[in-house]
Amino acid sequence: MSETIISTQGLLKSYSGKPALRGLNLAVPRGSICGFLGRNGAGKTTTLKLLLGMLRPDGGEIRLFGETVKSEASSIAARQRLAFISEDKELYPYMTVGQTIRFTRAFFPTWRRDLEEKFLELFRLPREKAVPKLSRGMRTQLMLLLAMARGSELLMMDEPTSGLDPAMTEDILQALADLAVSDETTVFFSSHQLMEVEQICDRVCLIDEGQSVIQGVLDDLKAQYRRILLVFDAAPPLALAGLPGIDHLRQRGRTASILAHNNVDAVVESARALGAISTEVRPVTLKELFLDHVRGE
Amino acid sequence: MLWYKAWLETRWRFGFLVGMILMVWLAPLWISATGVHSGVPAARQWMGIQLGSVLLYIFTAIYLAGSGVNSQTIYAATSGFHGSMLFTLSLPVSRRRLLFVRAGLGAILTCILVAIMAGYILFLRPEATSAIEAAVYLTRVIVCTMAVYAVSVLLACVLDEMWQFTGVCFLWVAVFLLQSRFEMLSRVSPLRGMSLNCYPITAPMPWAPVVTSAVLAGILLYASVLVLQRKEY
Repeated sequence: MSETIISTQGLLKSYSGKPALRGLNLAVPRGSICGFLGRNGAGKTTTLKLLLGMLRPDGGEIRLFGETVKSEASSIAARQRLAFISEDKELYPYMTVGQTIRFTRAFFPTWRRDLEEKFLELFRLPREKAVPKLSRGMRTQLMLLLAMARGSELLMMDEPTSGLDPAMTEDILQALADLAVSDETTVFFSSHQLMEVEQICDRVCLIDEGQSVIQGVLDDLKAQYRRILLVFDAAPPLALAGLPGIDHLRQRGRTASILAHNNVDAVVESARALGAISTEVRPVTLKELFLDHVRGE
Repeated sequence: MLWYKAWLETRWRFGFLVGMILMVWLAPLWISATGVHSGVPAARQWMGIQLGSVLLYIFTAIYLAGSGVNSQTIYAATSGFHGSMLFTLSLPVSRRRLLFVRAGLGAILTCILVAIMAGYILFLRPEATSAIEAAVYLTRVIVCTMAVYAVSVLLACVLDEMWQFTGVCFLWVAVFLLQSRFEMLSRVSPLRGMSLNCYPITAPMPWAPVVTSAVLAGILLYASVLVLQRKEY
């Protein structure tokens, strides 16, 4: 079994008494690209900030690289091995690209000059250009360069493609996928863009109201879950909701749409026994999984 | 590199203060050249220069402390973003070290400017000043200014810059007004330490305000570290 790079157990965080995280359990194995999904206010950014030591948890445990993070010293040790790209992608406005690289390099003894040169050329970032003159996409690329050249084992990002045009988004996603493959860097990023997550992630974690509702290998989740569409002569019977294995049930007129996992055949049999005149079983998309879980229908 | 970053963040403030001090320095020369205040007794002219210099010391301390760790939250007031602060906090550096470097550079620059201004005051003084008298004056002015600086650093850790600046100004205006009403406060006030016995300038060392200022600065800077370590971003 691969090493778990990020692990949280029962993580709690409130803002002025209002809970943001309600016992979040999270596990991200080494080398994976994990998409961290959830609605606005679900607790994604709070989780990232807790992992980085910018916020203090009210309860629960955080482990990074197998070590418990509960003091500033342990947080600094973890930050030596990771990189973070915030949603606003702000760097120091009074520095140039070259100064920003020199500044960041000073904190990482294992800095790789070869990767610095490679990504400067790949992203076509001029060293002498001032940071405020960089586009948002170029700032993202510069932050990726800073993350990669320091030799980080874990890259955490908050909405990495937010505000980028489609071409730049594609470049960034490709760079992330290459990073995970070539350097075995673990990538953990929050996003609202389900298409992007499906495109590059091998794992997903979906949180809602501060709790994890689904997490695991994306292909496994898609294989486990099925959409079952049922048609009845009349309104679907109430007993349908009580069938074991049903995650979510949506009824409209004479039809019912069920999201089920691990017990699909039995659900279909039971539905037929309850009078379903037509049954159809379909694979689900990540979007369907997301919507069914966060809407709570 | 943190010192380099701190210098890049502070250099424009430092340059602005140098420019302002140069302009203020021209004032006494202009006054003596035009003779517009020739009827004013020397002692009162000195009082004016001394009070003006105290205001400059205070402004220097507040302005250089204003570019503190918190001031990186450049968009905080308007958009809820944290600016480059999140990048800084994601680096493997303790908050104590961040504050030490940032406040340390500000303190060094404040001391340099205050020493230059105080040295100019001594230079303008018509009577000769001994080395000991000059050392006493520089020490008391610098130590007392550090108390103002430390208050500004503490407020810069908890407030956005605009409120930090306003808060420090209100605080010291309150101290200035209250020290005339309360004898105890008057004896230990850093403001009194800066301006005590304006004329003649070479009074003995006012130990009470100097020691109070040094202790206050130490306590407030330590409190700033504690505040910053507990602050959530």
